[in-house]
Amino acid sequence: MKRHNLVALLATLMSATAWGQEVSLYGTTMAQMWKSEVGLDKATYTPATQYLGIDANKLGSDNLSLHLFGWGRTDLSDSSNLDGSKTVGYLNFGYLQYRFNQANAEVKAGRFTVNQGTGFEQVDGVSLRTDLKGGFTLSAFGGKPVLYKTVDPTAQKDYDFQRDFIFGTRLGWRIPKVGEIGLSYLQDGTKAAKDLTIPSTVDYTRKQMGVDLLISPAPVFQLRGRTIFDLADHATLPVGTEKPSNIAEHDYTAIVKFGSKVIFTANVAERNFYAYFAGTNLPSLFRQDEKDKYKGYGGSLTVSGTDNLQVIADFRHMNRESFGDVNRVGGEIRYASTEKHYMAGLGARSVSASKTIQVDPTAPGRSLSHTEFRAFTMIERKRLSLSLDGIVQQYKEGNPYLNGLTSLYEVVASVGFKATENLKVSGDISRGSTPVAKDETRGLLRAEYRFGFGKKGGQ
Amino acid sequence: MARKSVLQFFGVLLGLGVLMACSLISPETSFAATHPEGVGAGRPMCSECHTTDVSKGALKPYASFDHTQTFVKSHKYQANQDANTCASCHAQSFCSDCHGGKVPMKPAIRLSDSPDRMAPHRGDYLTLHKMEGKMDPSSCYTCHGRANNDKCRACHR
Repeated sequence: MKRHNLVALLATLMSATAWGQEVSLYGTTMAQMWKSEVGLDKATYTPATQYLGIDANKLGSDNLSLHLFGWGRTDLSDSSNLDGSKTVGYLNFGYLQYRFNQANAEVKAGRFTVNQGTGFEQVDGVSLRTDLKGGFTLSAFGGKPVLYKTVDPTAQKDYDFQRDFIFGTRLGWRIPKVGEIGLSYLQDGTKAAKDLTIPSTVDYTRKQMGVDLLISPAPVFQLRGRTIFDLADHATLPVGTEKPSNIAEHDYTAIVKFGSKVIFTANVAERNFYAYFAGTNLPSLFRQDEKDKYKGYGGSLTVSGTDNLQVIADFRHMNRESFGDVNRVGGEIRYASTEKHYMAGLGARSVSASKTIQVDPTAPGRSLSHTEFRAFTMIERKRLSLSLDGIVQQYKEGNPYLNGLTSLYEVVASVGFKATENLKVSGDISRGSTPVAKDETRGLLRAEYRFGFGKKGGQ
Repeated sequence: MARKSVLQFFGVLLGLGVLMACSLISPETSFAATHPEGVGAGRPMCSECHTTDVSKGALKPYASFDHTQTFVKSHKYQANQDANTCASCHAQSFCSDCHGGKVPMKPAIRLSDSPDRMAPHRGDYLTLHKMEGKMDPSSCYTCHGRANNDKCRACHR
């Protein structure tokens, strides 16, 4: 969306809040500071970031509401942005919503995020959903996809041009005490790269169909997952090239509960990059031309010893065709007091890359193996809150990415004070060691506030 | 004349389509817009209170929305099928802490005073991502394939 359109949309939506009988405004103001010295280059960074959101309910009708959320950041000293600018901002969402009293039906218009079928999209447009008779559900969205800057300014034109329209729909069928199955379709862009007058080297468009399911005949068992098919008609491949699979993804998870204390989870996933990476705006990283494949399987076991203590063990085997096998084993212990005034956790992960293919001829493949330890604690006493979070990563010798280090760490200490029910101020200090900054200290000040009548929210 | 007839035909067809679609809509009352009681801090377990119920609208056991470790890591399925159930407790801004499309800092910094919450990329992930990305780049793609990739472009040109 062009800047002046965005400003007009924002002004219209903001003015609508005046009609709201229940308006809540929430925000977080953050000030950070860190310095860096790389060779002769010295820089001081002091970005100030403002998050701001508005929820206005009962706009003339009990069912009509407005939701706005965005952020802005200004650098008070050196620029922390890649393009050298000192000010940046973004509207994450801004939409009007009408919820019907019947059939869980709703309509949204404006900028919104939609997670439907195969797509997780930001759209400037309209979306609607409703339940139908017989357990069916229907949802659809359409509009202009929100565009992000691409890697290459000259390619941005192709990116903008190809992604001119986005449309998605999903038909679901819910069977009480059995589960749900859904069939979805997503089309992003109407002009594929191969159909342009001057064909582009990169195809930013997508046509995907998805099948998702959840089978849960009883609270003790669930099977959920999805398969995504790539339906796009791609450019002809060179003679002799093997045609890649049109199945972009299989991802399925089974969960079994043994009583109220033990949960076992198993997952299997497979992704074909040629189809899965369709539509990326970072083609240099998510490369379709690699025709690579990922396969993984794993599981986890969660045991709740008492109401307050939880022990989790997990394992995952991963295979990437071009890279080899990796095994990851981990465990975690979590404690939370009954009133959640005291929480603590202890975790460890070990990644074994002993069977991987060498990526750097001068470094052994096993050097990518590493171990991670993490511990945290949180205490809340009346208005005061304290937290401490530490993480250590230990790598094998010869890792090509560590500038000779084998151990990295970060410790974050935070102190917060809840001045009123709607205002909390907190300050963090973090200390760490990385291959870029062998000694790193950062400071952060945060103010979180909420005014109005809003009852909802994750915090 | 012929054009008018065609328009009338499509008008009638559209009208019939709308009437038919309306007759298909479920007569059930919508799921509650907000949870009637506060759920407190930490990860809520819906099935602790809703022991044998099937959630209205979603028609699934409430246990399938229990915020277990697995749920926190793979909540995309529930968010995909039952966004209105999520919306009874979570405002959209809760999702935007991580899934904002474009965010000014990694979630682990934004939520550094809440170490109990799952926040991706704790510690020096800039180093770790070189290894994680080689093992499974598809895990990066969900968030950084089309959005939140400003910083990726500094190196991946």
